[in-house]
Amino acid sequence: MSATTETHPDPSPPDASEGVEAELGFVGSIGAAFLDIAVAARELYSVFVRTLYYVFRGKRVKGAVLHQMNEIGVKSVAFICITMGFIGMILVYQSGLQAKRVVPDFTMLGATYLELLVRDFAASIGALMLATRVGAGIAAEIGSMVVTEQVDALRMSAADPIDYLVVPRFLASLVMTLALIVIAGTVAFCSGAATAYVFFDVRPDIFFNMQLVDVGDFLTGFTKCMAYGAAIPIVSSWCGLSTFGGSEGVGWATTRAVVNSSLAIIILNFFISAAGFLIFPG
Amino acid sequence: MTEAVRNPRLHALGAASIELAEIVGGMGVLLARILVRIHKFDGEELVKNLYKMAVKSLPIVAVTALFTGAIMVIQAAVIVKRFNAEGLLGWGAGFGTLREIAPLLTALMISGRVGANNTAELGTMVVTEQIDALRVLAIDPIAFLIVPRFIAILATLVMMTLFADALALFGAAYTGQGLLGVEPMTFFNGLTGGLLDFGDVFNGLFKSFVFAFVMALASCHFGLATKGGAPGVGRAVNASVVASAAGIFVLDYLVSFLG
Repeated sequence: MSATTETHPDPSPPDASEGVEAELGFVGSIGAAFLDIAVAARELYSVFVRTLYYVFRGKRVKGAVLHQMNEIGVKSVAFICITMGFIGMILVYQSGLQAKRVVPDFTMLGATYLELLVRDFAASIGALMLATRVGAGIAAEIGSMVVTEQVDALRMSAADPIDYLVVPRFLASLVMTLALIVIAGTVAFCSGAATAYVFFDVRPDIFFNMQLVDVGDFLTGFTKCMAYGAAIPIVSSWCGLSTFGGSEGVGWATTRAVVNSSLAIIILNFFISAAGFLIFPG
Repeated sequence: MTEAVRNPRLHALGAASIELAEIVGGMGVLLARILVRIHKFDGEELVKNLYKMAVKSLPIVAVTALFTGAIMVIQAAVIVKRFNAEGLLGWGAGFGTLREIAPLLTALMISGRVGANNTAELGTMVVTEQIDALRVLAIDPIAFLIVPRFIAILATLVMMTLFADALALFGAAYTGQGLLGVEPMTFFNGLTGGLLDFGDVFNGLFKSFVFAFVMALASCHFGLATKGGAPGVGRAVNASVVASAAGIFVLDYLVSFLG
C-alpha cells in the first residue's frame, strides 16, 4: 500500500456547505447556490470557447486524437453493447406489455420501437452510459494530473492544458460518440427483435419496419449525438481541471463529472426533443 | 508474468474472466460480511450518511425527474397526435415512467452522485491508511463504515425513486399542457383510469431496491479495493460507476421479466 503525504484527521470529508448554511441563513444559502451555478456556467463556457478556439488554432500532437479515440471509443464498445442489449430487451418487453393492455396487436411494435430508438433512446441512454464510463475516465485522468501538478508543468512549458488535454478528447468524443450510438442502436434493435420474437411471436421481418422513421427522426437523433458528444468531454474536462486537494479531490472531481455530464445530457435531451417535436410534428 | 505470453488474445480473455470473477466474488464476500454485522451498525454514522446521500441529492433528483417526465410526454406526444387519443397521454407517459424510466434514471443519477462519492470517500480512507488506523483502534471497519453506508444507500434510492415518480408525473402533466394543450386533469385521469395500478409503482420501487443493492455493494467493494494514491482513487471511482451501471441494466432486465 502506498503512503500518500496528506493526512486527514477527520474520516469524513469536510462539508463546507453545512457551515455556510448556518452562517448565511435560508435566503443566503439560496443566493449562494445561484452564485455557484453562475460561476460554474461561466467556467464551463470559458472551457468550451477555448476548446473551440484551439480546435482551429491549436498545435496538434501527432496521434493524440487517435489515442483518445481508442480510449474513449474502442474500449467502450463492450460496455455499450452489454447495457444497450439489455435495455433493448427491456424496452420491447415493457412496450409489449403496455400494448397488450389496450390492443393485442403487435404488428406496429417494431415500427414504433424503431422510431423511438432513432429519435431518442439510442442516443440518450447510450450517451448516459458513455457519461459514466468516458466522463469518469476523463475527469479521473485530468484530475490526477492536476493534483500531481502535471498540469502546472504543462503551463510552465507554455502548453495550454486545454489545447494539449481537452481538444484531443473533444474531437475523439465527437466522432466516437456518433459511432458508438450507431452500434448501440443496432444492438438494442437486434436484442429487441429477438425479445419480440420469443415473447410476442413477432417475426423479425415484420419487426424491422422503417415505415415510421422519417428525416425528422434522423435529424433529431443526429443532433443529439453531436450535442452529447460535445457535452461529455467538455463537462468532464472542466470537472477534472477544477480538481483540488489530493486523492479526495480526484474522487470528488470524478463524481461531479458523472453527475454533471448526465444532467447535461438530460437537459439537452429535453431541449432537442422539444425543438424536434415543434419542427417536425408527427 | 515473467515468461512471454504465448497467445496474447487468449491471455487477455483469461485475464478479463479472472478479473470479473474477482469482482463478483469480492462483492459476494463483502455482502456476507455486511449481513453478519447488519444488526450492529453505528447509528450516528447512519444518520450522517442518510443526510449526505439523500437530502443532498434532492436537487439533482428533482431536476432529473422533471426533465424526464417532460421528455416522456414529448416522446408519447407523437403517438398521441397520430391517433388523436389525448385521454391516453397520461397512461402512455405514466406507464413507462413509473415502471421503467424513473427508477432507471434515478438509479443512474444516484449511482453517479452517491455511489461514486462513496467509493471516492472509502478509497481516500484506504490510501491515507485511515482504515488501517481503525483496525489498530480495534474498530471493525465493516460494522463502523460499510454497514451504515449500505443501509443508507438502500433507503436513499427507494425514497428518491418515489420522489422522482411524483415529480416526473408532475413535469409530464404540465409539459403535456404546454406542448399539446392537454389539461393536467385529463392527464391525471388517464393515469388513474384503471389501466395503471399500484402494482406498477411497486414494480418500479422493487427495481430501485435491487439497483440500490448492487450499487451499494459495487461502490463499497471498489472503494475498499483502492490502491495507489490519487490516480488509484480516480480509477476506483471509474470502475465503480461502470460496474454499477452494467449491474443496474442486467438486473433491470431480470426484474422486468419477473415482475
